[in-house]
Amino acid sequence: MTTLALNKIEKRYGATEVIRGVDLKIDSGEFIVFVGPSGCGKSTLLRMIAGLEPISGGELQIGGERVNHKAASERGIAMVFQSYALYPHMSVYKNMSFGLETAKMPTAEIDARVRQAAEILQITQLLDRKPKQLSGGQRQRVAIGRAIVRDPKIFLFDEPLSNLDAELRVQTRVEIAKLHADIGATMIYVTHDQVEAMTLADRIVVLRAGEIEQFGTPLEIYNKPANKFVAGFIGSPKMNFFDVTVTRQQAGTTTLGLAGTNIVVPKIDTTVDAKLCLGIRPEHITNDAKDGVALADLTVTHVEHLGGQTIVYGRMADGQSINVTLDGQRTVHPKDTLKVGATLDNCHFFDAAGQRLG
Amino acid sequence: MTDATHKSAFDAARGAGDTKKPSLIGRTLIYCGLVVVSFIMLYPLLWMVSSSLKPENEIFSTTSLIPQNFTLEAYRRGWNGLSVSFGWMFFNSLVISVLVVIGNLISCSMAAYAFTRLKFKGRGFWFALMLGTMMMPQHAVLIPQYLMFLKFGWVNTILPLVVPKFFAIDAFFIFLMVQFFRGIPRDLDEAAVMDGAGPLRIFLKIILPLSMPVLATAAVFSFIWTWDDFFAPLIYLNDIEKYTAQLGLRTFVDATAQSDWGALLAMSTLTVLPIFVLFVLFQRLLIEGIATTGMKR
Amino acid sequence: MSVTVTSAAKAPLSERLNNQLAGYGFLLPWLIGFFVLTLGPAVSSLYFSLTDFSLMGSPNWVGTENYFRIATDDPRFWTAMNVTFTFVLLSVPLKLMFALAVAVALDKGLRGLNWFRAIFYLPSLIGGSVAIAVLWRQIFAGDGVLNQVLAALFGYEGPSWISNPSTALYTLVMLAVWQFGSSMIIFLAGLRQIPQDMYEAASIDGASRQRQFFKITLPLLTPVIFFNGVILTIEAFKAFTAAFVISDGSGGPIDSTLFYTLYLYQEAFTNFRFGYASALAWVLVVIIAIFTALSFISAKYWVHYDD
Ligand SMILES: Nc1ncnc2c1ncn2[C@@H]1O[C@H](COP(=O)(O)OP(=O)(O)O)[C@@H](O)[C@H]1O
Ligand SMILES: [Mg+2]
Repeated sequence: MTTLALNKIEKRYGATEVIRGVDLKIDSGEFIVFVGPSGCGKSTLLRMIAGLEPISGGELQIGGERVNHKAASERGIAMVFQSYALYPHMSVYKNMSFGLETAKMPTAEIDARVRQAAEILQITQLLDRKPKQLSGGQRQRVAIGRAIVRDPKIFLFDEPLSNLDAELRVQTRVEIAKLHADIGATMIYVTHDQVEAMTLADRIVVLRAGEIEQFGTPLEIYNKPANKFVAGFIGSPKMNFFDVTVTRQQAGTTTLGLAGTNIVVPKIDTTVDAKLCLGIRPEHITNDAKDGVALADLTVTHVEHLGGQTIVYGRMADGQSINVTLDGQRTVHPKDTLKVGATLDNCHFFDAAGQRLG
Repeated sequence: MTDATHKSAFDAARGAGDTKKPSLIGRTLIYCGLVVVSFIMLYPLLWMVSSSLKPENEIFSTTSLIPQNFTLEAYRRGWNGLSVSFGWMFFNSLVISVLVVIGNLISCSMAAYAFTRLKFKGRGFWFALMLGTMMMPQHAVLIPQYLMFLKFGWVNTILPLVVPKFFAIDAFFIFLMVQFFRGIPRDLDEAAVMDGAGPLRIFLKIILPLSMPVLATAAVFSFIWTWDDFFAPLIYLNDIEKYTAQLGLRTFVDATAQSDWGALLAMSTLTVLPIFVLFVLFQRLLIEGIATTGMKR
Repeated sequence: MSVTVTSAAKAPLSERLNNQLAGYGFLLPWLIGFFVLTLGPAVSSLYFSLTDFSLMGSPNWVGTENYFRIATDDPRFWTAMNVTFTFVLLSVPLKLMFALAVAVALDKGLRGLNWFRAIFYLPSLIGGSVAIAVLWRQIFAGDGVLNQVLAALFGYEGPSWISNPSTALYTLVMLAVWQFGSSMIIFLAGLRQIPQDMYEAASIDGASRQRQFFKITLPLLTPVIFFNGVILTIEAFKAFTAAFVISDGSGGPIDSTLFYTLYLYQEAFTNFRFGYASALAWVLVVIIAIFTALSFISAKYWVHYDD
């Protein structure tokens, strides 16, 4: 079993702390995505797992064994680099066989492995080419092939799709997911793109400034973001945040003031006059007044017609901005006034420190 | 392979250069100027070559660059003009130059690799010292070096000219290689580390193969500068059988007492010829080598 | 590095040792060279310079006497200084100007650039060789090419430029300037790095060509001018071969081409006054160091850096 465990992992460069005590347990065969804004330490964390970066503090375990000081090549790990890092002077075949040759594997077995990996990735006809003669997508495959031949227990990917164009990105994303299903190895995948995170991951690790903000399945994170940061980071367009004030606490309900409107919601553990944050995703706000909470009216400032959806940008009476994604094609114009609302279970509440309430 | 790792200063995309392009008249003037300057620059060399192909009495009787009575007589006289044939001295020069090239390539690439790719205590300190030695004139260490080699019994052998090069004494080449190695993406080393390669394997299998352009540049410069070197052979080589071509030529100046200009110019032409050939073959490499050292200090 | 490291951070001794071993292993040749061929000799020559060491006997400590003699009682030292400084102060600026002018002319996007570049570079590649010194000696001799050309064109009977003490040094300056090619290459590369759109913006602003040159090209090129200037100056101080060959190792006529290095060579390897020659060597080191330091100090005032 190749479980991976990070216990209080830290990384410092001189006096600056880049990773601040990360705890993580990853099960065998899981597809884990590290996601977070650029500079939050995703690559650093990944590189510490890989063995490319010394660990400043804490313990890294693979299959229950402490590997803090094990050489990268002995951790049973393969990595696909953002730049692919293909050896420019070697053929595709050589690129894939280099690691096996280093390990002094018999030539016949090397050949078998390279050809099998090439088969899986459909790059057999490219084996004699140099990286320079490949397209971006093909290079990407070779980089993955180089990882596959080593038959690693854990695959690491550092933003592997960021150098591809949009169409190829989607296509490769699907292929990586398929690859994971086929070979069943543990995969850790770093990206700053929350769509990639949502689509690929079994579980997502949301990182900020070297700390884990939330660890859970994509839907857990989407449905129950642990704090304002995660709520804002996951989901597109971004979640609306409204400043609300607690006006009344009653048995069973809490009344909130938002832009002159009162919203009554099930009891929240807070005090009267507390300033809270109400978060609602644009796709959860509707203008078909049914059940749920009625929000303050919005005045439309701008409309985007995407065909399948209509995105409405507006302001409430007190000037707070609000975005609404409406299904289908709607006739909405700037300066229109829209009555909108949302169901209660789509409302997220955060305290002044940004932590989720309820 | 080159373009992946090393962006040449001259390949930097230059548009049509429209804004810089002068008018037709301006261009013509610049062309004329350049042609005149080129001619003045090349005239001494052309004269040297043409005079070496003329009979002695024709050298000073006409300024024409085209020999009227083409002859290789001067070469024959010069070749055997000293007690030891010039051929032997060319051979000495060749041996020394080739050994120096080998020494420089091995030792300087190792040092550059350590400075750019390996982590060890004191790396920054040694690197600063290395840059310092680049500035330091050799004259300050000349006499003790001489006495040391004298003690070793190395004076009047090629050892003092060759052995130091196996100890990365030409800091310039370390610098040149450091500049190049820095341009090789670190991801490649890391990929190789993931592939289980150690420092030696990364050096031999990744860094060196990707560094062919800079190794070639260092080799050619190394060869030319050693071939041209006069000072070190002058100090260390005493017997005429050990002489390099440069020393031979200079001895020839004394021996003929300027009486046989034809032979002297013929031998001069010959000593320059190998450099000229290398120049023609590796012109681009040399020019880029110079340009890069100047640009990316 | 100085931050306290938790026990988990400490790599096992073997791993840390391996890193050091690999680093020092690859650096070993250079380290040996540095200690045995550079540092050791530098220290000994500093010591020699304080002794009366010569071929005749073992070194006796004389303190600063050699330096004192150099400063107060050695007319040939001052001649050598005079010759060397004249050479440096003439050849370096001339070479820079030529190199810059030709580089700017070549950077006009004209055709045949590669040819001209190669032609101009060739002399600096071969210029250090004995053959070229021999050639120079011939060109400027009394019956040399220059006088032939002068006679043919103007009917002027020139003197022997080489054997005339008042002109000999200038023939060597010309030889140095003739080798402006490598500086030109560096200038050309520098010019290439000036973004084209700066000129486009300037010409839209209505700046004339001269103005563009003085307000854009020149300021942006000052780092390269500085670099070239420092390199050329150090090189010029160390010039040797041509003076040696042209003057038969004497520095003549009447010491008019007695370059500092030539004087140093004579003291060390003709007169075998190792102690005195070492002192001369260190004086040269100090002069070059001062020149370099002054350049770097002055650079603050005229070299333009982006950041
Ligand atoms: N060698 C280094 N020295 C100092 N700081 C570094 C170094 N490498 C990375 N960092 C810092 O660590 C942080 C995390 O970097 P990284 O892991 O690359 O972020 P991400 O991959 O999430 O974009 C950044 O703020 C970066 O500036
Ligand atoms: Mg990153």
